[in-house]
Amino acid sequence: MKKGQDKSRKDGGSSLLVSIIIVFLILGVIVFSLAGRISKEMSASAIQNLSESLDLIECTIEAILNNEADFQKLIAQKVALADDPEEYISSYKKNSTMVKLSLIAEGQTEGISNMGEKFTEEGLDFSAGWEVEDLQISQSYINYMGTWAYTMKCPVVRDDKEIAALYIEYVYDSLDKSLPEGFYNDTALLYIMDAQSQRLVLKPKGMGERSAGHLNLEDFYHANDIKERELRQKVDSCLKDGKNILFYHTIRGKQSLNYMWSVNEGSIYLIGYVPVEAIQQESRAVRHNIFIVVVAMLTAFFLCCLFYYLNQRKQNKIRREREAERELHNKQLAEALQAAQIASNSKTMFLSNMSHDIRTPMNAVLGFTALLALEAENPAKVREYTKKITASGQHLLSLINDVLDVSKIESGKVVLNMGNFTLNDLVSSVDAIIRPMAEGRKQSFHVEVTGIKHEYLLGDETRINQILINLLSNAVKYTQEGGNIWFRIIGMKQRSNQFEHIRIEVEDDGYGMTPEYLETIFEAFTRAENSTTNKVQGTGLGMAITKNIVELMGGTIDVSSEVDKGSLFKVELELRIPEEQADKRFWRERGIDRILVVGSEQETCENIQVLMKDTEVVVDTACDLQAAVNMISESNRDDYHLILLDWDETELGGISAAQKLWECTAAPILFLASYEAKRTESVAEMENAEVLCKPFFVSALKEKILEMQEAGKVAAKLEEEDNNSLEGLHFLAAEDNMINAEILSEILSMEGASCEVAENGKLVLERFERAQEGEFDAILMDVQMPVMNGYDATRAIRALNRSDAAKIPIIAMTANAFAEDEKEALAAGMDVHLAKPIDIGLLKKVINRYVNGKE
Amino acid sequence: MRIKELIRTLTLCGLAALMALTVAACGLGDPNNDVIITEEESKKVVNLFSPMEKTEPDAENTARSAFDKTIIMAEEQLGVDVAYRSYTAEDYQDKTYDDVIVDRVRNNMDDIYLLNPDIVQTLGEEGKLVDLSDLSCVENLREVVKTANMVDGKLVAIPQEVVAYGLFINKDMFDKYNLELPETPEDFLECCRVFKENGIETPVGANRWWLETFVFAQGFADMYNGGDTEAEVAKLNSGESKYSDYMRPGFEFLQELIDKDYIDAKKAYVSEAIEGEGDDFLAQKTPIVMAYWGAANTETAYGNPDFNMQVIGFPSSHGQMPVVPITGFGVGAEAEHLQDAKDTLEVILSDEALQVYTETNKVISPSKNVKVDCVPALKPLNDKIEDNVYVLASNAGLKLEQWGNTCLIVRELLNGSTVDECMAMFDKLQEESLNK
Repeated sequence: MKKGQDKSRKDGGSSLLVSIIIVFLILGVIVFSLAGRISKEMSASAIQNLSESLDLIECTIEAILNNEADFQKLIAQKVALADDPEEYISSYKKNSTMVKLSLIAEGQTEGISNMGEKFTEEGLDFSAGWEVEDLQISQSYINYMGTWAYTMKCPVVRDDKEIAALYIEYVYDSLDKSLPEGFYNDTALLYIMDAQSQRLVLKPKGMGERSAGHLNLEDFYHANDIKERELRQKVDSCLKDGKNILFYHTIRGKQSLNYMWSVNEGSIYLIGYVPVEAIQQESRAVRHNIFIVVVAMLTAFFLCCLFYYLNQRKQNKIRREREAERELHNKQLAEALQAAQIASNSKTMFLSNMSHDIRTPMNAVLGFTALLALEAENPAKVREYTKKITASGQHLLSLINDVLDVSKIESGKVVLNMGNFTLNDLVSSVDAIIRPMAEGRKQSFHVEVTGIKHEYLLGDETRINQILINLLSNAVKYTQEGGNIWFRIIGMKQRSNQFEHIRIEVEDDGYGMTPEYLETIFEAFTRAENSTTNKVQGTGLGMAITKNIVELMGGTIDVSSEVDKGSLFKVELELRIPEEQADKRFWRERGIDRILVVGSEQETCENIQVLMKDTEVVVDTACDLQAAVNMISESNRDDYHLILLDWDETELGGISAAQKLWECTAAPILFLASYEAKRTESVAEMENAEVLCKPFFVSALKEKILEMQEAGKVAAKLEEEDNNSLEGLHFLAAEDNMINAEILSEILSMEGASCEVAENGKLVLERFERAQEGEFDAILMDVQMPVMNGYDATRAIRALNRSDAAKIPIIAMTANAFAEDEKEALAAGMDVHLAKPIDIGLLKKVINRYVNGKE
Repeated sequence: MRIKELIRTLTLCGLAALMALTVAACGLGDPNNDVIITEEESKKVVNLFSPMEKTEPDAENTARSAFDKTIIMAEEQLGVDVAYRSYTAEDYQDKTYDDVIVDRVRNNMDDIYLLNPDIVQTLGEEGKLVDLSDLSCVENLREVVKTANMVDGKLVAIPQEVVAYGLFINKDMFDKYNLELPETPEDFLECCRVFKENGIETPVGANRWWLETFVFAQGFADMYNGGDTEAEVAKLNSGESKYSDYMRPGFEFLQELIDKDYIDAKKAYVSEAIEGEGDDFLAQKTPIVMAYWGAANTETAYGNPDFNMQVIGFPSSHGQMPVVPITGFGVGAEAEHLQDAKDTLEVILSDEALQVYTETNKVISPSKNVKVDCVPALKPLNDKIEDNVYVLASNAGLKLEQWGNTCLIVRELLNGSTVDECMAMFDKLQEESLNK
C-alpha cells in the first residue's frame, strides 16, 4: 500500500517534470524557428540593402558618365562653332575630371591635344563598342598621369557634317569623390573593373582592406581563392551579358557575399565582397538577443528543475523521516506489547511458582502442626516437628522478603544505606552463613582475598552481603554434593585514589547453565527450571535483585557458565575509601611496630604487607621455620612484637613450630588458619598464642590482639551475655493481632518478663498516660494498627509532659521491614526497629541494650 | 523559519521590481534621439603610392604588415588617414611601376611615394621631391643612406629598410652536387656548368629587373671596397672614366650565362620579379635566383621554402658581394597634403617605428640605432654587410643614374643586343649626363 503510494507520488513527480520539459522544448523549438526565420528575413533584407547600395553607386557612376558625355557634346558643339577648333582645344586647361582634350580632324589620323602635343588614336581601344549617351567610350588604360583613365570620343558636327572627332580623357580617380566613403563599416571591398580588360581601375578609398592589392579579376579570384570552375563560368557569362551577380564564397576564412555589379550596361563593373557577418549585423544582434533569451529560458528551466528537485528531495526526506518515526513507534509499541506479554507471562508463571513455593512450606507447617497436635505428648516428636515447622516458616519468610525486595527495586524505592565496614566483617559473616551450607552438602568452600589495599571501606554492607549470599547460596544450591565453591575478593588496579576497585568472584564446578538461560538469568521471575518440576527451592528473584543492587552501586556483574562444568560470577565494585583508614595509634599504644610472617605463600605475605602498609608496622616475612629462626636470632630478641605463623603449611608443624620459635623470642604467636583447618583447638590451650582465620585482615588481627590482651575482660563479657535475661521486666505492647499478641506475651513470660497488650496506638497512649513512672520498662510498638498507628502513638508519647516520656525505650516491632520503615520509626521517636517475625534472641539483646543499658 | 520567509519575500519583491524596471525600460525613449544631426568629420588625408605585391589567399603579407604597423602609428599619432594607392604592372607590356610613379609624381597625384633608386635620382634632379633633411629622424640615418639619396644637396628620399640584394641559393641542391657556394664569377659559372650537366635546365632563375645586380657587383666591387670612391665618382662625373668600362665585365658575364643557357633570356625578358622565377625556385627546379633581403622573410616570396635556403652575395673579384640599392619614401614637391605627408614620414621613419618595422621584417634598418637579428638564411649576407662589404647599386652622387638605366640596358642584352652595343648605350648616356 505504501509502496503503491510512493509509486503514484513518483509517477506524479516525473510526469510533472516531463510536462515541464515538453513545455520548454516547445518554447525552444518556437524560439529556434523564430530565430531562423528572423535570420533569413534579415539576410534577405541585407541582400536587398547591399543591392540598393550597389544600385546607388551604379546610378552615381552612370550619372557622372552621362554628365561627362553631355558636357563633351556641349564642348563638341563649341568646337564646331569655333573658328579655329585646334586653338580652342589648346586653350583648354585640364581639370580633375577631364585631364586631356584632343581633336583629330575628319580624315586625319593625327590631331592635337590641349597638352600641346600631337595626338593619335593609338593606344585607345574603342573596339568593344561601349557607349555613353551615344558617345564611344574606350577601354581603360594608364594615362600620362600614371592613373587609370578612359576616353570618350564625340563627333564634332558643323552644318550636319562631321568635321572632326573630340577625344576627352577622364580619370577614374574623379569618380572616387562621388562615391560613399566606407562601405559596410569598411569591411566590404569594392573595386571598379573595366569589363573589357578585366583590370581593376579604381579602389575607392575606405573600401575594404588596405593590404589587398588586386590588379585584375584573375588576381581577385586568386587572392580570394575563388577557384570553382562552374562559378567562374557563371560569373564570366554574367559579365559578358552585363548582368549583376551575387554569390556566397568564403574569403579569408569568412563567409562573404561577393558581387559583380554592372555599370553602364556592363562597360564597367563594381566588384568586391562583403563578409556576411557585416551585412547581417542586425541579424547578429537579434540572434545574440535571442540567444540571451534562450539562455535565460534555459537557466530558468534548470532553476525550475533544480527547485523542483530540491523540493521533491525535501518532501521525500520529510516523508521518509515521518515513516521512520512511525516505524520506530510501531516497533516500540510492538516491543512494549511483547514486553508486556512476556511480563504478563512471567508474572503468571511467577504467581504459579509462588503458589507452589508458598503452598509447599505452608503444607509442611500445617501438616506438621496437625502431627504436632496428635503427638503433643511425645517430646522428641514435638521437637522434631517444631524444628521442621520453623524451617518451613523461615523459608516462607525468605520468599516474602525476596518478593518484597524485587517489587521495591522495580519501583525504584531502594536506597543504599552507606556506612563504614570492613572486608573482614563481610567475609566473616558470609563465611559464617555459607560454610555451614556448603559443609551440609559436603562441598569445599574456598575463600581467597588478594590484592586488597584497603579493608576499611564505605558502602552498604547489608546489600553487599545480600549480593554475596545470593551468589554463594546459589553456588551451593546448584553444585552437586562434594563439589567446590570458590569465593574470591580481588583488589584491582585503582582508578582513583578515593576508591577501592574490587572484583568479587564466585565460582563453582556445579551444574552450570545453558547459554539460553544465561541470557535471561538477570531478569526477574525466571528460574533455570520451573519450580514445580525443580527440586531446588527458590523464588527466581535472587539474580534480578543481585544485578539491580550491583548496578545501584555503580558496579557490573558478569556471568560465564558451561553446563556440567560450573559457573563463574564476577562482580566489580568501586567502593569509597573512608578518610580515616589506618589506626596507627592502636599499634603504637600496644608497642607493636614489627611483626614476622612465617611460612605463608609469597602472595599471602605480600597481601599482609600491603594491608599493613598504612599502619607503619614493619612486616617481615620468612619462607620457612628455619629462616624465621635465623631472622629472629639475627635481630634483637624483642624486635618482633608479634609472629604470624601459617597453620596450614603442615611442614612447619603447627604447635611444635611455635615452640621452636618461642625458644628464641617471647613474642606472641598468631596461627593463620583457614576456616576448614582442623586441630586448631589445641591452640586454645596454649598461652601467648591464638588462631587468626584466613584470609588475613588488619581488623581481624586487631580484634585478635585485643582479645589476647584483654582475655580477662572477654571472659567477663561472656558471662554478662548469659545474663541477657528479661527477668522481672514489664512491657507495654501495642499489637492489634491477637495471635501475635499472645505469642509475644508467651515469649516474654517464658523469659520471666510480663507484658500488657493494647490493641492500638491510642490505647497504648492512654495506658501510658495512666501508668506510674517506671511502671513499664519499655514499650513494644506495632506500627500498622487501627485508630492510631505506632508512629503517631510514639510521637504522642514522646510529647507527653512527663519525665519518662522522652526516656522510655520504644521498640518498633513491625512487619514493615524496610530501611525506610526503620528510618521513619526512628524519626517518629522510637529507639530501635525490629522486623517481624520476632527473633527472641535479637529481642532480648535489644531490650537489654535499651532497658538495661548493656552492650 | 522566519528568516526563510523573509528571504523568500525579499526575493519575490526583487524579482517583481526587476520585471517592473525591465518593462518600464522598454517603453522609455530618449526624446533627444528624434533629431539626429551628423556632421562629417573633416579628416586629414595623406595619399601614399606604393607597389603592391599580389595577394595570396589566406597569406599574410609580412612586408606590408610591418609597413602597416608604422602607418597605424602615424595615423594614431597624427590623426591622419593614410590612403593607399598602388600599381603593379600586369605584364611586361604594361607600364612599369617606375613609369607610372614618374607620371604620378609629375602630375601631383599623391603625397608620399615609395621610390626605386633610379626614380629617386630622376625625380630628385627634376626637383619634384621635397628636401627631407629637416626631418628630425635624419640624424639617426646611416651615412650610406644619405650618400645614396642625396641629390643636389637635398635628401629626397628615406627608406624604412636598407634593401640588400643577394643570391638566394638552394643549399640542398649545392650539397647534392658537392658544390661550394660561389665566390667569384668563375666559381659561379662552374656551379652553373655542373647543374646544367646534371640536367638542371636553367640553373639561374631571372626576371627583367634584377639581373643588373651581377653587373654592379662585378663593376663596383673595387670602387666601394678599398678604392677611392669619391675620386672615382668624380672621374665618372667628369667623363674622365668611362662608365662602360665598369659595366663591361658584368655584361660579358651575363652574356656568357645567356650563351650557355644558364639563364632563360627570353623568359627573363618578359618576367616580373619573383613571379617569373619564384615558382621554379620554390619547386627546386632552379637552384639560384636573385632577390632582395625582405624576400627571405615574406611568405608571398621566399619566406617559407621546403629546403635549406641561403642568401649570399653576388660573385665578384672581392668574393661574395651584397648589392645595395637605396630605395626610399619621397614626398611630392607640390603635394596636396605636403605637411601632413612630412609629418607622416617623421613618424614612420622614427627610431620607434623603425624598431617595429625592423623587428617584424627582420631587415637592415636605415637607422644607426636600430638593430635586430636576421633569419638564419640571411646570415651570410648580413655578415658581409656588417663588415661593410657591399656595393651600392644606386648613387645619386653619380650624374649617370645607374639602377634604372642598367636595368634597361640589361633588358636590351636579354633582347639580343651585343655587349658592345650595350656599352655604347652606356657611353651615350654618360655623354648625355655630362651635357646636363
